[in-house]
Amino acid sequence: MAKAMLMDVTRCIGCRACQIACKQWHDLPEVHTTNLGTYENPPDLSADTWTRIEFRELDDHGTLKWLFSKHQCMHCTDAACVKVCPTGALKRDPYFGFVTYERDKCSGCGYCIEFCPFHIPRKDEHANKLLGTGLMGGKCDFCFDRVSNGLEPACAKACPTGAIKFGERDDLIREGRQRVMTLKKDYPDANLYGEQELGGLHMLYVFAERPSVYDFPENPEMPAAAISLPIEKWTGVGLGLLAGAGMLTASVVARARMIQEEKENVKEQE
Amino acid sequence: MSKNKSEKGFWASIFPTIGSVIGTFFYDYFFDDPKRPGIMRFSFPARTLHWVTAVLIILLGFTGLILFVPGWGTIAVAGWTRIIHRICVYIFAVVLVLYFVTYRKNCLDYIKESFTWTREDLGWLRAAVDYYLGGEESKMPPQGRINPGQKIWQLITILCGAIFFITGAIMTFAKGAVAPGVFQWCVFTHDIAFIIGGCMLVVHVVLGALHPRMSESLRSMITGKISVEYAKSHYGKWYEEISKKQA
Amino acid sequence: MELTRRDFLKLSGGGVVGAAFLGMFNPDSLLEAVPIDIPLRKEKIGEKTTICPYCAVGCSLIVASVDGKAVNIEGDPDHPINEGSLCSKGSALIQVVNNTRRLSKVLYRAPGAYEWQEKSWDWAIERIARNIKKMRDENWIHKDGNGRVVNRTEAIANDGSAAVNNEEAYLITKLCRTMGMTYIEHCARLCHSSTVGALGSSFGRGAMTNHWIDLKNSDCIMIIGSNAAENHPLSFKWITKAMEKEAKLISVDPRFTRTSSKADIYAKMRSGTDVAFIGGMIKYVIEDIERHSANYNMTYIKEYTNATLLIDPNFRGPADLDGLFSGYNANKRSYDRSTWVYQLDGKGIPKRDLSLKDSNCVFQILKKHFSRYDVDTVCSITGTPKDVYLKVSKTYAMTGRADKAGTILYAMGATQHTNAVQMIRSYAILQLLLGNIGVAGGGINAARGQSNVQGSTDHAILYHILPGYLKTPSPEDVDLKTYLKNHTPMSNDPLSANWWQNYKKYIVSLLKAWYGNAAVAPDFAYEYLAKVEGNHSHIAITEAIHKGIIRGLLSWGHNTAVSGPNGNMERADLAKLDWLVVPELWESETAAFWKRPGVDPGQIKTEVFLLPAKASLEKEGSITNSGRWSQWRYECCQAPGMAQTDLWILTKLAKKLKDLYAQEGGAYPDPILNLTWEYGDGPDVHKVAKEINGYDLTTGKLLPSFTKLKDDGTTSSGNWLYCGSYTETGNMAARRDLTPDKFNTGLYPGWAWCWPVNRRILYNRASVELDGKPWNSTTPVVVWNPWRSVWEGDVPDGGWPPMSQKGTRLPFIMTSEGRGHLFAPGEALKDGPIPEHYEPWESPVKNLMSGTQNDPVVTIWESDMDFTGSPDKYPIVCTTFRVSEHWQAGQMSRNLPWLVELMPEMFVEIGEELAHEKGIGYGQKVIVESARGEIEAVAMVTKRFSPFAIDGRKVHEIGMPWHWGYMGLSTGDSANLLTANIGDANTTIPEYKAFLCNVRAK
Repeated sequence: MAKAMLMDVTRCIGCRACQIACKQWHDLPEVHTTNLGTYENPPDLSADTWTRIEFRELDDHGTLKWLFSKHQCMHCTDAACVKVCPTGALKRDPYFGFVTYERDKCSGCGYCIEFCPFHIPRKDEHANKLLGTGLMGGKCDFCFDRVSNGLEPACAKACPTGAIKFGERDDLIREGRQRVMTLKKDYPDANLYGEQELGGLHMLYVFAERPSVYDFPENPEMPAAAISLPIEKWTGVGLGLLAGAGMLTASVVARARMIQEEKENVKEQE
Repeated sequence: MSKNKSEKGFWASIFPTIGSVIGTFFYDYFFDDPKRPGIMRFSFPARTLHWVTAVLIILLGFTGLILFVPGWGTIAVAGWTRIIHRICVYIFAVVLVLYFVTYRKNCLDYIKESFTWTREDLGWLRAAVDYYLGGEESKMPPQGRINPGQKIWQLITILCGAIFFITGAIMTFAKGAVAPGVFQWCVFTHDIAFIIGGCMLVVHVVLGALHPRMSESLRSMITGKISVEYAKSHYGKWYEEISKKQA
Repeated sequence: MELTRRDFLKLSGGGVVGAAFLGMFNPDSLLEAVPIDIPLRKEKIGEKTTICPYCAVGCSLIVASVDGKAVNIEGDPDHPINEGSLCSKGSALIQVVNNTRRLSKVLYRAPGAYEWQEKSWDWAIERIARNIKKMRDENWIHKDGNGRVVNRTEAIANDGSAAVNNEEAYLITKLCRTMGMTYIEHCARLCHSSTVGALGSSFGRGAMTNHWIDLKNSDCIMIIGSNAAENHPLSFKWITKAMEKEAKLISVDPRFTRTSSKADIYAKMRSGTDVAFIGGMIKYVIEDIERHSANYNMTYIKEYTNATLLIDPNFRGPADLDGLFSGYNANKRSYDRSTWVYQLDGKGIPKRDLSLKDSNCVFQILKKHFSRYDVDTVCSITGTPKDVYLKVSKTYAMTGRADKAGTILYAMGATQHTNAVQMIRSYAILQLLLGNIGVAGGGINAARGQSNVQGSTDHAILYHILPGYLKTPSPEDVDLKTYLKNHTPMSNDPLSANWWQNYKKYIVSLLKAWYGNAAVAPDFAYEYLAKVEGNHSHIAITEAIHKGIIRGLLSWGHNTAVSGPNGNMERADLAKLDWLVVPELWESETAAFWKRPGVDPGQIKTEVFLLPAKASLEKEGSITNSGRWSQWRYECCQAPGMAQTDLWILTKLAKKLKDLYAQEGGAYPDPILNLTWEYGDGPDVHKVAKEINGYDLTTGKLLPSFTKLKDDGTTSSGNWLYCGSYTETGNMAARRDLTPDKFNTGLYPGWAWCWPVNRRILYNRASVELDGKPWNSTTPVVVWNPWRSVWEGDVPDGGWPPMSQKGTRLPFIMTSEGRGHLFAPGEALKDGPIPEHYEPWESPVKNLMSGTQNDPVVTIWESDMDFTGSPDKYPIVCTTFRVSEHWQAGQMSRNLPWLVELMPEMFVEIGEELAHEKGIGYGQKVIVESARGEIEAVAMVTKRFSPFAIDGRKVHEIGMPWHWGYMGLSTGDSANLLTANIGDANTTIPEYKAFLCNVRAK
C-alpha cells in the first residue's frame, strides 16, 4: 500500500528531465541562475525547485567517476518536519506514506527547514529575514494528486532510463536489494538507502558508493530536539496551568483566611 | 435576536467598567497628586519601563504561546504572529538599550539587587508558604526594599530575558549559518525560558494584581507610591532605612 | 450532473476515442482506481499526440489544451520508444507554445532600418515573391559556358530545414527545384551528410541501419563520436535495458561525458583520430580471425561482404604510397579512381577467392592496409592508454561470434571532420568483419540530430540529390536517357538484386508528381530540372554569398549565424545579401544579424523578412526519426497571433509565383507554370502526404508500395522511398498498433511506418545463415519458413528466398554486386576505397601514419575571411559539443526559461591540468581564441578532460558547447566563431570537431 520511488543512481544519466517535469506539472517558475563552473543548476533547492540532480566528479584511485543523484523530500515515515510543524501544514499521509505540505496552513516558522535531517525544505525566495515573513516555499509533494489518480509522479514518469522508479514500497525494496546484490561485484560499497532510516523513507536509493559520497547523511536521525519538543511543550502547558491555578487558589485561600482573621480580630476587640 | 440583545446588554454594562478602570489607570499614572501622602517606591521611568515591557511581553508571550501550545498553531497561518513577535522584540531591545543608557545606575542596581542573596533571605522562605497561601503575617520577618520572592522574579527576568534574546537572535539572524543542531536546541531553550518565565509571569501577575496581601502592589506600579502602613507591614526593614535617612 | 475529475477525464477521453481518429491519445488508459480521490492540478493530462521537435529519437508526447492553450504536456505512455519518458528538453516543450518570446507578427526590416516594422501576410508574400522573381529573371542561366542547357539560377539559395514536417520539406524541395535553384541546402549537410556518404557507399543506404528500441538486443554497444546520454537521452532507455542483460557499454570520447559516466569502459581519444582508433581494432580483428576463425562468422564475411572479391591488381594503397591511394593527382587534388575496381570475369561478374588468400582480394588488401595500425602507433596517435585500448578491442571483437551482436552508435563526433566519411567507413568495415550488420542489436546507428533530419534528407533539401536519393542532374546529363545511363548502376551477377536498376521508375514518377500532365515521354519534363555543377554545399553557399554570386536567401529556421562554421564570415556575409527570408518561431540570430552587437544597422542594406511560423505541436504532418520511422503529428494547440505553418507559407509563395509568371512572364516560366500545387487553400497536409506516396495515374488510387512504380509515366510518387506511407488503407504514419512482431524483438511493425516498405532493420537478410535460419535464435529479425516458403518477422530486405535456394539474391540489395563493402569500389568515394588516418586540418602533431598530413582531396577555401591556425600559436586542440539541456543553435532552448535555468551561460570545459598551467580557476571567465576569432566563456574546470600523450608529447584538448548566440533569453558567444570553413573530402561537412585554439584567463 505504501508507495515509494526508488532512484538507482547507476542508471541516472543526469539529463535532468525530472527537474523540468516537476516544474511542468507544478507550474513552477524558473530560477535565475549563472554558470558556477559546474553542470549543476539551480544551485540549491528552493520554493521554485523541488528536486535537483547533484553532480559529483570523483577520482576513485585513477578511475574517473561522474556521479548524479537526485535530491528532494525523502518522505520519511518518522518525519522530523511533521513532528515539529506547529500548524499541521506538514502531515504524513497514512495511506501512501508521503509527507504532504499544505501551504495555506503554513505559518513560516521554519522549524521544518532546520529540523529536516536531509536539509530539504526552503523558505520562500523573497522572504524578509528581519520580520521573518514568507512561508516554507514548497517541497516535493510526491505528485500526490497524480498518484491518487493512478498516475506516476511526474519525475518518475519522465525519467528516460528508469533510474527513478515508482511503485509499491515493498516491491521497490525487493528490487533495490537485488540491484545492490548485482552491483556489489563491481561496487563493494553498494547499498540500499532508505529502507530503515527514519522509520523507512519513501524515497529509496540504490547507491554504488557510500551515501556521503552523494551528499546524503550516512545515518540520518530524528534530531533529539525534535523528540523532546512535544514533551517539553506539554510539560510547559501543564506547569503554566498549574502555576495559574495554584496562585489563584492561594489568593482565594489567603483572602478567606484574611476575612476570617478580620472577623476574629473584630470579635476579640468586642 | 434575543441573543444579540443580551449581548448588547452585556457589553453595555462592561464597557463603562473597563473604561473606568483604564481611565483610572491612566489618570493615576499621569496625574497622580505628587503631594499625596505615601512613600515613593517606583520612579516614573521605572514604572514607564515596566508598563512598556509589560505590553511587549504580553504580545510576545501571546504570539509565542500560539506556536507553543500544541494545536494552537493554526492560528498563526501565514505567519502574522511572527511579524508581531519580531516587531515587539526589536522595540523591546531598543527600549532596554535606551533605558540602560539613560538610567544606568537603576539598571545596575536592579542587577546587583537580583544577584545579592543573604542568609536572611532564608527567613522569608520559611514563612513564605504560610504568608502567601494562608495570609499569615506574623511569622514573616521584616523585609528590605524587595523581598526574596521579588528578587527571584527579577532574577528570572534577567536570566530568561537573556536566554530569549540570545536564542532568538540566533534563530533570527544566524539561521543557516549555524549548524542545524544549534538552531534546534535554540528552539528548545527558547521554549524552556518561555516555560520558566511564563510560569513566573503568572505568579507575578496574580501576586501583583490579585493577591489580597499585595493590596497596594498594582497601584504602586501605577502611581509609584505605597502607604506608610503598607510599607511598614511589607517592607519593614526598608521603611526603617528610609526613615533613618530622612531623619 | 456533477462530474468527478476522473469522470471528466473519462468523458473527454471517450470523446476522442469516439471520433475513432487514429493517433489520438486516450487519457483513460492512464488511470487506475485508487481509493483516495484528490483532484488533479491540471484540468486535463493529454488528448492529442505530437512527436517531439528536438532530437531524432522520435518520442511522442501527449498534449492537453484548454481553449487552444496548452496546459499540460508529458510523454506518451503508449509510445514504444519513449514509453512516456522524456528528456529535459521534451519536458520543457510547453514553454515553446506558451512563450511570450514567440513571434506572432510578420516583421519586415527595410534596408538600413534600425527596427522591425509589422506587416501583413499579403504584403510580405507579394514582396518576397517579387524579390524571388526579379532575382531569378535577372540571373537566369539557360546555357553554361560549354553551350549545354542548364536552366538554373545561382543567385538565390535555400537553407533549411530539418525541423519542418516531411510534407513541408518535400514542398521546399519541390518549389526550389522548380525555380531552378541550385544552392539548396539545410542543416543535414552540417550534421550527417558524411553518414549518407559513408553508409551509402558501404551498405547501399545512407541511414541508421537499425532503430532505437533495437539497442536493447545488443551484446556490446560502442558509443564513439556520440554523446547519446546527453544528445539522445531516450536512447539510454534501451541501452540501459541492454546493460541489464549484461551488455557491455564502451564510450570512446575525448571528453568524459554523461555517456562515459555510464560506460563499462571509457577510452579517451584525441578528436579526429577515429580512423586510427578503429583501424587498430580492425587489425586486431583480422589477426584474430586468422588465429581463431571459429570465434567469427566466416560465412558472413565470405558471402555477405566483398572480402572475397578481387581488386584490380594495379590498385595501390597508403602502405605503398605514403598515405595515398593509386591515381592521385596533386594538382587537381583528386584521384583517378580507375584502379579502385573489381576484377571481372568474362561475364562481367567480379572474380572471387573463397580462400581469402589472393593478395588482390579485399581481405588481404585490408590486412595489408591495417597492419600498419599497431597498438603502439595507434595509441600514440589517439592518446588512448594502451591497456584501455586493448580492453576495448578485445571486448568489442567478442561480438564477432555469429550469435553475438555489437552496435556502433555515433553522431557528430564522427561526422564533422575533414575525413568524416572515412571514419564512418571504418566503423562499417569493423561491423562487417564482425558480422554485425543486419542483425538485431547490431548495425551502425547513426544518431540523427534534428527531429526530422532523416526526412528532410530523404526529401533532399540538399544540392546533390533529388527526393529518394536520386542524383541531381549535372550538365553532362543532357537528357533523361543520358541521365539514366550515367546514374543507373549495372550488374551482370545473377545473384545481385541491384535495386537501383529501378532508377527510371523513380525519377519518372517524381517528375509526374511535380509536373503532372506536362511530364510526357520521352523526357517527362526532365529539362525543367536545373543542372548543377560543382560543390554547392553549405560552405560553398557562404563562399558564394561572399563572392556576390548568391544575393537572395531563404532560411527556414536554420540559424546559420550560430551554427555555420567560421561564424564571423557567416554573419558578415548575410549583410551582402539583397534580401533574406526567415520563417521562424523566434527572433533568431540569423534574422537579427543586422542588429548584432558591434555593427551599425544603418550600414546593412539587406532586406529581411521574419515570418512567424507555427511550432511542431501547432500543426499536422509526419516526421521521420533516426530509425526511419515516419510518425504523424497532430495540431494540439493554437499558435500565437499570425503564425502560420511552413506549408501555408510555401503554398502562398508558390501560388503567388505562379500568378506572377502567368501574368507577367519571365525567364523560362514553363516549370513554374506547370508545377502541380493542388493542396487547397488550407493547405491540406494530407494531400501533400498522398502526393509523396504517389498514385496509380490510370486508376487514381494511392499506391501500396514502390514495387508498383512504373517508368512509363502511369504512376506518380513524390518520393519513391515513401511510397507505401499513405495508402488506400490509410495514413500509415499515424498507426498506433502496439502488437509486437512475431519474435518480440521490439520492431512494433504496426506502429507508424518505416521506410523502406516498413522494414525496421535494414539488410536483415544478412541476419540469417545461408539456409535462412537466424544466426542468433533468441533475437531473430527474419526467419525463412521452409514449409510455407515465406520470410517471417521483419519485412525482409528483398523478398527472395535464402541463399541456399534457387532464385536467391545477395542481402545488400542496394549495392551493385549485392555485398557489404569492406572495400568501397569505383566512384563511391573521393578519398579512397578504404579509410586511412589523416590528421585534422588543424592539428598540433604530424601524422604518424604517413607523410600525408591531411586528407589529400579536401577542398581548400581561400577567401579573405578563411584563416588557418598554426600549432605554435594555437597549441590546444578544441572541440565543440552539445549539452542535454540545449538545442542546436539555441532558438528552441535559449528562449525557454526552464532550460536556461539548467544551463544559463556559455562555458568551456578545461582539464584541471591545463587550468593549472594557465592559472584559470573554477567558474572564471576565459578567452578562447582561434585563427578565426575569439570568444568569452565561463571556465568549467574539470577532471573530465585530461591531456593526451601524443607521440611522447603532452597535448591538451578543451571543448565547448556551440548553442549560444546574441539573441534569446540567454546570450553568449558562439563557439562557431572559432571553427573553420574546411569540409570533408566527400560531403563538405565542416570540421567542427577538431581545430586549434588557445585559451587564457580574462
